[in-house]
Amino acid sequence: MIKRCSKCVTLETQEIISFDENGVCAICRNIEYKRDKIDWVAREKEFISFVDKYRGKGMYDCIVPFSGGKDSAFTAYALKRKYGLKPLLVSFDHGFYRPCVLANRERTVKKLGVDIVTFKPDWQTVKKTMRVSLERKGAIMWHSHCGIYAYPMQVALHYRTPLIIWGEPDSEYLSYYGYDKSGEVDERRFQQMVNLGINAEDMVGMIEDGSVTLRDLSPYIYPKLKELKELGYRSICLGDYIPWDTRKQSELIRKEIGWEGAPVEGIPYDQYWYEKVEDAFQGIEDYLKWIKRGMSRMTHLASIDIRNGRMTRDEGLKLIEQYEGYRPASLDVFLRAMNMTEEEFNTMALKHVVSPYVPPDLNTVKRGKELPDQKLWTINNDLI
Amino acid sequence: MKILFLGNLNCIVVIMLNIRLIPTILLKDGRMIKTKQFGAYRDVGNPKTVARMYDAQRADELIFLDITATIEGRHTLLDVIRNVAEECFMPLTVGGGITTLDDALEILHNGADKIAVNTAAVNRPEFLTELAEKFGRSTVVASIDYKKNSDGKNEVFTHRGTYPSGLDPVSWAVEVEHHGAGEILLTCIDREGMMVGYDLETLRSVAESVEIPMVAHGGAGTVQDLVDGIVIGKASAVAAASIFHFTDQSVFKAHAHMKEKGLPVRLI
Amino acid sequence: MIVVVDYGLGNLFSVKKALEALGAPVTVSSDPDVVLAAERIILPGVGAFGDGMRNLKERKLIPALCESVLERGIPFFGICLGMQLLAERGTEYGEHNGLGWIGGAVAKVNIADKGLKIPHIGWNQIIFKKEHHIFNGLKPLSDFYFVHSYEFQPSDSQYLLAVSQYGKEITAAVGRKNIVGTQFHPEKSQDNGLKLLENFISWKP
Repeated sequence: MIKRCSKCVTLETQEIISFDENGVCAICRNIEYKRDKIDWVAREKEFISFVDKYRGKGMYDCIVPFSGGKDSAFTAYALKRKYGLKPLLVSFDHGFYRPCVLANRERTVKKLGVDIVTFKPDWQTVKKTMRVSLERKGAIMWHSHCGIYAYPMQVALHYRTPLIIWGEPDSEYLSYYGYDKSGEVDERRFQQMVNLGINAEDMVGMIEDGSVTLRDLSPYIYPKLKELKELGYRSICLGDYIPWDTRKQSELIRKEIGWEGAPVEGIPYDQYWYEKVEDAFQGIEDYLKWIKRGMSRMTHLASIDIRNGRMTRDEGLKLIEQYEGYRPASLDVFLRAMNMTEEEFNTMALKHVVSPYVPPDLNTVKRGKELPDQKLWTINNDLI
Repeated sequence: MKILFLGNLNCIVVIMLNIRLIPTILLKDGRMIKTKQFGAYRDVGNPKTVARMYDAQRADELIFLDITATIEGRHTLLDVIRNVAEECFMPLTVGGGITTLDDALEILHNGADKIAVNTAAVNRPEFLTELAEKFGRSTVVASIDYKKNSDGKNEVFTHRGTYPSGLDPVSWAVEVEHHGAGEILLTCIDREGMMVGYDLETLRSVAESVEIPMVAHGGAGTVQDLVDGIVIGKASAVAAASIFHFTDQSVFKAHAHMKEKGLPVRLI
Repeated sequence: MIVVVDYGLGNLFSVKKALEALGAPVTVSSDPDVVLAAERIILPGVGAFGDGMRNLKERKLIPALCESVLERGIPFFGICLGMQLLAERGTEYGEHNGLGWIGGAVAKVNIADKGLKIPHIGWNQIIFKKEHHIFNGLKPLSDFYFVHSYEFQPSDSQYLLAVSQYGKEITAAVGRKNIVGTQFHPEKSQDNGLKLLENFISWKP
């Protein structure tokens, strides 16, 4: 019988989970720490005096990794409008930005009045890494995780801008780091949590037909510590200095810069209109998580809401029943792009199931509804 | 770590040596590879970046085993060790084709802390004694590879699983301890790369026959296998590779699971 | 300049690289004159007590070490065997005299009745017995990497800086005036080890 937290709805198959003697998970316990112990006023003061040291020096005050999703849009907004910094937005385009995110990006950068650098890696190489990532790790977005983390660091070196400011802290979602440690977003985190244990120098040999060189994978290489130290880099999270409330923040940017959400596979739009809109294949990543661990984005979001007193545990369980366990329609697009059969996909996914979860026969899983913009995704362009 | 409290202000702290989780890195021609039953292999990365990743994940030690049996291969191995030792300040055990004291010295000079000998020890057990006398017993790891022979009995094989030695792994383990090895790396060839779990019975037999630490190797596929290797197999440490390269498990997650199951592990 | 003494034993490469990573000027040498000119000295070492002393004698390092450390008060750090050699005598493969800078003897870790494995290999936590500059910034029960079968038992507990628990209390660190030594390997103990080495670099005894 698979164990579920007695407070939220997270399953024991969650990465790095532990339960106390009351069956409460470590993430719930960490949230208690957040509410009771952190002096957010002092933390914000700390943030302001810290960034003041970088104000006005060089072409930009800071680098802000940006996708156009709710967190990076809020971060860009806060840094520019509230804290008065001159940021350079750096966007790693993983190839799956949906029309709503493309629109959000335009709105955000125009309304805030900021410079942005966007990098889009070579799709043919991306496809090869996706296949390796799926096979070896049961996840498809290695290129996206690495690119989003490593590429802005490369840009920081290029523009000689030592301060890099990320948005949301990880503690909200995982119990890797407690709130009492404000971690720097550095190479150690990249190696521990981001790159799935695979560096570009490893990936190059894993693409077994030898068709990809290290040069092709250079956007995914985290710069050498020596060079970053020489720049005097600091890579911090805004969410370590101000309390992170995604709903409130999303409503704020909707009002202030016209940020808009969109439906996402596997979760109810009305409640979570702001969630995970920046990745067309989010539904597939979530499906893979469900195959491996028996839970998906609905469990994750419900757990957060339960912890923040916005939902009861029973309500959460009902939503899971309603929204989880569907095979996403977007998988059709992925399979076509990758020239892969669903059987191949399922076989690779099933190699990564986390005990004690046992997935059902994937051929019996019901099909989810197609998103209204699926036919408009830019990824479709080379598949016609 | 266990803490026993006696009243509010006093406590007895009883600390245990942490269980070690040791990723193994198999080297061939400068790349890290992963074999199955010492046979077919696949590329699993660049050993230098893989080591960096393991160091960041706070692995307890690293074991490098080089299976390129050429002079070129030896240069590459030393280059890798040196590179890793420059940036990762963690214990490194290195093995693969060590047949002379000079081989061992060269490897230790390039940043290794322990050397693992396999075939050379079977050929001449006194080599272990010589190594222990020159470098200290705790520097010498006896690497024992075994699999079921045609009679269905466990037998020690040398030359990367190709030559039968006629030795039984349990009695050979006692021998290597007697000759000066400070630690044993026990690898089940039949289970290597297969991710079916360790050979717990043989592990336990060896562990109970020697006083030196034993590292379990060959077969780990889930984090529970790692726990079983310690609790049931009585190993002092668990070594693994496939689990970190063909599943989405990581050292970080494995440590967390082992701790959850009550084992004393480092957790950062 | 920190001098890492090369007397043919120990992982000199890792000690050197760890110090370089901390930004300290370091040289590895077996030359007594270089030792005499050192601002700080590190004596690493892995191996047998008798061999350690013999190697130091053969390279004529003992007079230089005694002058620098005992007479001129140069900060000294002994690692593993390098710490054990501080003792008056050792009993590994026969009786041997040590440097005798800290009273006591080196003997086999005696835990035969506890069912524990020997050598003591792995990461173990240390309990601080005394405050010391080298422990600055380290949390209580920080863990470090041990790999040894023998331990140094100082004759006077005032020189015992830290212990570890392995069947019984075993000596983890000793110190006297400008001399400090650890049984564990800071150059192999990741963050904690680097912090300790960093403290040694800034230590003004």
